[in-house]
Amino acid sequence: MERRKFLGLGVMALVALPATISAITSIDFRATKPEAWTAHKVDEAVKALFGDITPVEQGIELGLPSVASSGAAVPLTIKSDLDAKTVAIFQDMNPESATAVFNVPENGIVDYFMKIKLKATDENGGKGVVTAVIEGRDGKFYIGKKTLDVAKGGCEG
Amino acid sequence: MAKNMKIKAKLKGDIVNAKVVAKHDMLTYDQAKAKGKEANFITHITAKVGDVVVYDVSTSQFWSKNPQFKFKFKGAVKGDELSITWTDLLKNTVTESKKIK
Repeated sequence: MERRKFLGLGVMALVALPATISAITSIDFRATKPEAWTAHKVDEAVKALFGDITPVEQGIELGLPSVASSGAAVPLTIKSDLDAKTVAIFQDMNPESATAVFNVPENGIVDYFMKIKLKATDENGGKGVVTAVIEGRDGKFYIGKKTLDVAKGGCEG
Repeated sequence: MAKNMKIKAKLKGDIVNAKVVAKHDMLTYDQAKAKGKEANFITHITAKVGDVVVYDVSTSQFWSKNPQFKFKFKGAVKGDELSITWTDLLKNTVTESKKIK
């Protein structure tokens, strides 16, 4: 009985090993962390994605206009020299907070540009904060924030 | 299928600069409700050179209409094919590729 168990484990290990080596690095965070995408607050979304973390504020450069003339397409750049594993972008102006989660390939370059929609409402007065959180390959977490004004919302379309 | 993406990939030194514009309405839940349509937006984008993933992002409804994005990566040479795939909420998938200049 013992011997059979041992053999069974051996076979499992053999099957499991190649899978980890050839793990294609594409990760669908919408499937793995669905709660992160429905959270309405930045800290809730961060928690849903990364758990209880205490990130240090360093190493992230966020490029955003200080005043965006239209919320329909706000240019956003994130750069970092950190050895990043995951890069997540959140904002506090739209109904939900999570905006993008990058799975950074090994030796990848964190220099991403995208255009996002930010909704200016009476409640937020067109002011908002974009927050970026990086999970480093060192297991530590880093955070960067930038405030901006948006003249007209982009979600009304 | 009609062209769904504009891709530019240029090698500068040892770094490839990629610029992409994807054709997609990126209809948020709020916009869809207002228009009486079904929400649909790109939920994932992956770029590869051969089998190697060079860019991988899970995206939200808050990327702009016809989203533009740029990224950089190392490890490719001129003539390599950069292939980009997006998937949207309704599970449509489009893959297009371009040679790195």
